[in-house]
Amino acid sequence: MNLDWLDAFLIFGAFKVVEIMGLGLLVHLQLGLTRVANFGVVGFWGVGLYAFGVAYLKVDWPFGDVYQFLVCAAIATIVAAAAGLVVGWLISDLDDDGTLVGTLGFATIVVILATTQQGLTGGALGLGGLDFPYDFGRVKTHEFTWLLITTAVVALIFAYAWRVYRTPHGRLLIAVGSNEALARSLGKSATAARLRMMMVTSGAMGLLGAMHGVMVRSLEINSLDVSVTLAALAALILGGTARVFGAVVGVLLTVALFDIVIQFYIPIPDGWNTQALPVAREAVFGAAIVLMLIFRPQGLLGQMRRPALMRRLHGDW
Amino acid sequence: MTGEDLRPQILVRDVTKSFSGRVVVDIDELVLGDVPVEGLLGPNGAGKTTLMRLIMHSIPLDGGTVTLSRPGQRDVLLSSTRTNQMAGLGVVKSTQVITDFEHLTILDSALLAVTEARYERPFSAAADRTVRKRHEDEIRHWLDYFGFDDPLAVALSGGDKKLLDIVRCLLLQPAVLLLDEPTAGLSEGHTERVKAAVRELASRGTSVVIVEHDLDVIWDLCDEVIFMAEGKVLLKDNPATIRANPTVVKSYLGAGSA
Repeated sequence: MNLDWLDAFLIFGAFKVVEIMGLGLLVHLQLGLTRVANFGVVGFWGVGLYAFGVAYLKVDWPFGDVYQFLVCAAIATIVAAAAGLVVGWLISDLDDDGTLVGTLGFATIVVILATTQQGLTGGALGLGGLDFPYDFGRVKTHEFTWLLITTAVVALIFAYAWRVYRTPHGRLLIAVGSNEALARSLGKSATAARLRMMMVTSGAMGLLGAMHGVMVRSLEINSLDVSVTLAALAALILGGTARVFGAVVGVLLTVALFDIVIQFYIPIPDGWNTQALPVAREAVFGAAIVLMLIFRPQGLLGQMRRPALMRRLHGDW
Repeated sequence: MTGEDLRPQILVRDVTKSFSGRVVVDIDELVLGDVPVEGLLGPNGAGKTTLMRLIMHSIPLDGGTVTLSRPGQRDVLLSSTRTNQMAGLGVVKSTQVITDFEHLTILDSALLAVTEARYERPFSAAADRTVRKRHEDEIRHWLDYFGFDDPLAVALSGGDKKLLDIVRCLLLQPAVLLLDEPTAGLSEGHTERVKAAVRELASRGTSVVIVEHDLDVIWDLCDEVIFMAEGKVLLKDNPATIRANPTVVKSYLGAGSA
């Protein structure tokens, strides 16, 4: 495959867009549907990244390439899902403020463990040696292929989120999120519903973390900063927390704007890309969250349109 | 339970509840369900709604026990049962305050009430239509009965939300139904429909307990009335006797009401 026309940094920018889109979709299921305000997205994503990296690098697997990746990615998904289950249980009786602080605390614990457990994680120095589960010869081809694979994974996440609205499971999540006491009175276990949702979404966040590890081919403590959570939340809040397409639209207007359009197509002074732009990006994302919450809390796409969906699903009623 | 009262019962024993030192419920013994429809009557603050919430275990008891007794089945201690398990046991309560699920349509609400837990798992392959197919007749019956013209819309008015709450309760096919002011804010026509639905349900074996400030509903519907004041059960008798009781007239009904 001749990819000379394609800038390697553009591949990485597109990867970031796809990755944050996936995280935004998962946050949509948590916050938009079930009203679980997860401010520790980077924690679940980071657990997946580090579980994958440690399993990949520290275990002498009797097989390589594809199988090694699949097994380690499965481990990352399971560990992140287990973390989602535990954190979900711990925050199950907390209000929104408590949930925010609790999930943020979890993310902090993950960063501290990744930093201090040097024997396993490499600590602040990190660990190299992760690799793509295939060998086509050229790095750019590897990265482009990985971008396509990650896009397929995020497309599956989108399909899952899209389908959830059309199932009894989605209805239960909306009910639990909007009126927990009433849902309980109908015999619904709100706690079980939330825990299952946290397990599924956290596991998928962990899988995206593992896929990130392959793309960057190393474990770096700097990757576990709040910018991951901020990007996913800013995109979702901008697009609309209660709409599946909210994360998609929001990511295109935030991450894609900064990491692709401005970086590659807007003439900016040398050096800004590495210094001023990342800082400006965080500031703009933060400001976008504040402004949207003040002036249009439902996001650009607006409220959930349940009656319209129900008419499509049950128009013959 | 004797052979002649083969109907689900709630047994309330030595139940107490205080808020900030004030006793709001203090009942030595009370059996609910020994007749088809019972009314709970009393002035504001008598403890009627609190008693219902204690039965549902949506607030914890300070002391005592609440037991569900069903013909041919083992007794269940409701006072140590989680709220979300009550509906599965057949104990269902309507809400006093008008409430609904934000965003969900009327049909959503009805489907939610009837959907079995196995269809609500994250990777359940069941589509919405599967659940609809299983329960369409009963949902259509109750929505049509109460005159919901557009079940695919969100309930907007207080009256629609109140009726939808009752529909959800009816769809759960309760063994014991606790109705807390079910006709408050409803039109006369809808009130009559609620009363007819309660009668039909009771005739099929459901034990119904009603708290209602519309006394005509109580007198028309109830086979027995329990009068409460200051957290205690003062009287339990047929509606005519309660209505003529001097204590009830003096403290609740007012002179000239009989």
